[in-house]
Amino acid sequence: MSTREQHSRARRLLAAAAAALTVSAGLAPHQAVAADGDKVLTVAVAQSVDSLSPFLAQRLLSTSIHRLMYEYLTNYDPGDAHAVPALATEWKSSPDKLTWTYTIRSGTKWSDGQRVTAEDAAWTFQKMMTDEGAATANGSFVGNFREVTAPSPTELVIRLKKPQATMTALDVPIVPKHVWEKVGDFSEFNNDKDFPVVGNGPFILTDYKPDSYVRLEANKDFWRGAPKFDELVFRYYKDQDAAVAALRKGEVSFVAGSPSLTPAQADSLKGEKNIHVNDAPGRRFYALATNPGARARNGEKFGDGHPSLLDERVRHALFRAVDRETIIDRVFQGHAVRGEGYIPPRFSTYFWKPAAGQELSYDPAEAGRLLDQAGYRKNGDGKRLGKDGKPITYRVLCHATDPNDKAIGQYLQEWWGELGIGVRLDCLDNVTDPWLAGTYDLAFDGWSVNPDPDFVLSIHTCAALPATPKDTGATDNFICDKRYDELYARQLAEYDPAKRADLVKQMQSRLYDTGYMNVMAYPNAVEAYRTDHIASITTMPEKAGNIYGQDGYWSWWSATPADSDDSAGDSGSAGVVIGLAAGGAVLVAAGAFFALRRRATAEDRE
Amino acid sequence: MTTGTTTKTGAGAAGPRALARQRRRQSAVRFWKRYRTHRAGLVGLVGLALFALVALTAPLTVGTDVSSVTGAPGRPMESPSAEFWLGTDRFGRDLLGLLVWGSRVSLLVGLLAAALSVAIGTTVGVTAGHFKGAYATVLMRITDWFLVMPTLVLAIALATVLPRSLGTVVLAIGVTSWPTTARLVRAQTLAVESRPYIERAKALGGGHWHVMSRHVLPNVMPLVLAQTTLMISSSVLAEATLAFLGVSDPTVLSWGGLLQDAREAGAVSSGNWWYLVPPGIAIAVVALAFTLCGRAVESVLNPRLGVGR
Amino acid sequence: MTADAPSASNVKAAAPVVPAQRARTATRYLRYGAGKVAGAAVSLLAVLVTGFFLFRLIPGDPVKTMTGGRPISAEQLAAYREEFGLDLPLWQQFTDYCGKALTGDLGTSYQFRAPVVDKISEALPNTLLLTGTAFVLYTLLGIVLGTRSAWRHGGLGDRLNTGLALTLYSIPSFWLGLLLIIVFSVGMGPIPGLFPTGGMESGGEEGFAYVLDVAHHLVLPVVTLVAVEYGQTLLVARSALLDEMGSDYLTTARAKGLRDDLVRRRHAVPNALLPTVTLVFVNLGRTVAGVILVETVFSWPGLGGLFYQALSVPDLPLVQGLFLFFAAAVIVMNTLADLVYPLLDPRVGR
Repeated sequence: MSTREQHSRARRLLAAAAAALTVSAGLAPHQAVAADGDKVLTVAVAQSVDSLSPFLAQRLLSTSIHRLMYEYLTNYDPGDAHAVPALATEWKSSPDKLTWTYTIRSGTKWSDGQRVTAEDAAWTFQKMMTDEGAATANGSFVGNFREVTAPSPTELVIRLKKPQATMTALDVPIVPKHVWEKVGDFSEFNNDKDFPVVGNGPFILTDYKPDSYVRLEANKDFWRGAPKFDELVFRYYKDQDAAVAALRKGEVSFVAGSPSLTPAQADSLKGEKNIHVNDAPGRRFYALATNPGARARNGEKFGDGHPSLLDERVRHALFRAVDRETIIDRVFQGHAVRGEGYIPPRFSTYFWKPAAGQELSYDPAEAGRLLDQAGYRKNGDGKRLGKDGKPITYRVLCHATDPNDKAIGQYLQEWWGELGIGVRLDCLDNVTDPWLAGTYDLAFDGWSVNPDPDFVLSIHTCAALPATPKDTGATDNFICDKRYDELYARQLAEYDPAKRADLVKQMQSRLYDTGYMNVMAYPNAVEAYRTDHIASITTMPEKAGNIYGQDGYWSWWSATPADSDDSAGDSGSAGVVIGLAAGGAVLVAAGAFFALRRRATAEDRE
Repeated sequence: MTTGTTTKTGAGAAGPRALARQRRRQSAVRFWKRYRTHRAGLVGLVGLALFALVALTAPLTVGTDVSSVTGAPGRPMESPSAEFWLGTDRFGRDLLGLLVWGSRVSLLVGLLAAALSVAIGTTVGVTAGHFKGAYATVLMRITDWFLVMPTLVLAIALATVLPRSLGTVVLAIGVTSWPTTARLVRAQTLAVESRPYIERAKALGGGHWHVMSRHVLPNVMPLVLAQTTLMISSSVLAEATLAFLGVSDPTVLSWGGLLQDAREAGAVSSGNWWYLVPPGIAIAVVALAFTLCGRAVESVLNPRLGVGR
Repeated sequence: MTADAPSASNVKAAAPVVPAQRARTATRYLRYGAGKVAGAAVSLLAVLVTGFFLFRLIPGDPVKTMTGGRPISAEQLAAYREEFGLDLPLWQQFTDYCGKALTGDLGTSYQFRAPVVDKISEALPNTLLLTGTAFVLYTLLGIVLGTRSAWRHGGLGDRLNTGLALTLYSIPSFWLGLLLIIVFSVGMGPIPGLFPTGGMESGGEEGFAYVLDVAHHLVLPVVTLVAVEYGQTLLVARSALLDEMGSDYLTTARAKGLRDDLVRRRHAVPNALLPTVTLVFVNLGRTVAGVILVETVFSWPGLGGLFYQALSVPDLPLVQGLFLFFAAAVIVMNTLADLVYPLLDPRVGR
């Protein structure tokens, strides 16, 4: 083979590659408006889908998508999150509080034309009660169910073992029986092969590519009214910076952030034209949890939490050395609210804050006194000694993926260092194991609170402890307190909203006093969208609330497209021109370079 | 293939120590004379000296409390100003100070990891070259096997398995990057051992340890030196990579850690280039400096390569 | 980026040139080849064993992690353990794993509930597209620039060329990627955001538009990979050619009055390319594994991202499968290099 030929072929290849790059640089695809004029709403998400089967999905993205694909029995009002009709038009409980009867909306259809009936709902619940594979994601909702029946196509009856105040907050997607009864193994079926997926929510799932996108089409027959956008695409960006940049360029219409945009990103987006930053009270609390001595329901103790933390004075001292103002100011840079009680102020019905005398306010001197009182005095080196005579160093469990954990951990190191207490930050990708094993002293903890607070309250009851050290309980951090438990039992059986709210507040007060869960902040939901793509969108709560990860489908269902999408198109065509020009210049330069080199070589060497 | 100079006189090496030392000094001088002619190598050396100086004097120039978060002097994420030449980080700490302070960890990890890697590689290489037979076969099999392991994947895996600390990072880099050194050293060892004076030393009753430590090691040292220099360069990069991927200790301040902080704070999309650019440049410059030095050393030892001139 | 520093000594330097002798018989080559293939098989087995035991050291009970935070009854936990075979003794898990692996079954991913082989083959084409494109470009670029550099070594062009290659080589690839995003995706000053910020496709395009769309997404990650990788190829090609240029036969060729350009193309370059071949193959294997960083920065839906996701659970079957795959890529490529090399250069291959 001639080497000359080889050589020139290589050159041609290079040129072809360069040409391909140039051309592709120029042809930036348009967003917001697809070629056929459909209005597309593209949402940048940071999470990948774990499963599209409602029986398996546990991640926020997947469950949010299920909200859009399937109707639930009830939904939450966007204003104050009270239960509103969805698939069920009304519901009532029997006098003994053990039987709930739901009236199922008549006349709605699945996307394949079949009628939606109570039988679908009954089948969904029954499946979860009888098939362990189907109970993976939402099994806890049916744990207290005795029996579910559908006496008529419009009537669903659920019989309970014990009274349960959360029967209007069953977050279970109801699936079409005629499709799903053909599924063999529920633990392996991911619902991601046959598109479009039959559903009855505001959107129909039409396409999914792992780690790339999830595509949904508006359900024109949705009973509440068709969504205004024709298409909804969740696009996966592993990197939040990339997502924000994509928003800037108009590649996406909305960025959710994981869990929210950073202060720097929010600040830089605020100045941007056509971008609205939604900085709203969040539904999360962000706390410092203390290991109260891990134990199981059978009384067996396990784990190795520091014994000094069993002293309430020590727990109070630690929290009194935490300056929540600094955390809000420096770490969240104002995008959070100072922590008080357990439930965020956004849920005004249940929000509670400590009275003046009760509050564990920032006071390092008082913290030192408390520690002295508890018998943990400083030695010559300024280190406080434990009862075993060794300097105290607490292991603080932190999520390696959460920058706030790491940042606040560094503050804790310095604040508690002043007190004479050492801190070792254990930042792990996966904190579950030491957490469940109780092999930590303190831990960064946070939960998203649902409109119905039952779940986040239940995880601190004795009943949530694991049965034996070998089991996994629902417990958050092994708290078990008699008074708290009594209050919990009373609120669960209390069907009167006002009375229940009062009980919930008493529970929070009790939890606060124990010093096991110290809420430092309620992080805001910081998200952003393009106002030239989205004209309006419903937040939840409506006055000031989040858009992504709502308890209902309000945001995407209500979003209305902006009139003109030209601005995005303009920058796109400018991009084409500049891209082509730049690419052309590169090609010409490369060609000239090679030509000159060849001539030079020929002249020099001959 | 190189540096037979120190032992050219063969059996004479067993003579007075002073003579040997003098000869070594001479060859060091010769080495330096030749090294000096490599401009790139000199540039690299000067760069290294500067960085070493910065790292060593950091406690005096920026002070130990530059990394304190509670005592941070500025607001978070300030842009460069007269007060903060490179702006501030997410806590409001002075980024220039952090950059200076971070050089200590980055260089330390680079040095330690390279030392570990080269130590393993040299030990494996020399022993595999010296003891032939099954031992060498097994050892080289292991080496070959480590050579094909995807280093980054293995390092990430190791760093995940072990607790997050600087030691883990050093270990993860060192344990995954030694095989090249082992192969080079083994080849050199084989070359050295085939020389007649080794036969003579063995005949005179020199044991394995004697031969390896007195004859083989001094002869492979120049190669090891070159290899170390190059390895530091890749170790500094590897440290940054692991810190960036978040498998390092987040409370320890290094350049890679700064980049990770910057990214987590959203500096990329906020246009806060001052948070992102300096640590990257620092990493690149140090890695480049070590590479230049390593290549210069290599070409002094093996002029045929003709690199660096 | 624990790749080796760009050092010419990392690559087998060509032995002093002797006239090619074609005395080798086919059987000798076959024996040589069989030995190499057997060695590769042993390496693969070793990787299988390491993968299995190494990742079991990751602290964390995968079943508890998967269900973490969810109220899960003890019976359900036990059921999961049984489902994933985690209730069996370790040695039995291992033999099961090996047995299945030999038949191409790498188990079921814990978090995706899908066969590992499926997850890998879903992501593999994407990774191959990225690494393949980058590989072709940086190899060509490295060889072309390297031989040019060597031919006029010591000149300004050579110094600039080598200097640039070394500098780019010293840059952390993820950092370069981030800078490229800032400048060319987000746009900076007069430069508009020309390229997408991440991902592989916008979704919804079809036909030729789809190809263009993917190519458009491909540009920045490929540029990043090429920039940090071509240096090594350049340096090796350069020193290989420099080695070759001292050879007598080139002097002879020139003395015969052949044009310099011709001597270079006909004689020097082809011979100097031989040692580069090894590097080229080894690089291909390495790039597949080293692409993790670039995939992370550019949200490329490939194997790297999958590995990272799997590691944090830990999704043992997926981690093991990917580890095996990454190592296998390098092993296969190395073996190919070993097999191809003697065909190109008759001096090697005893």
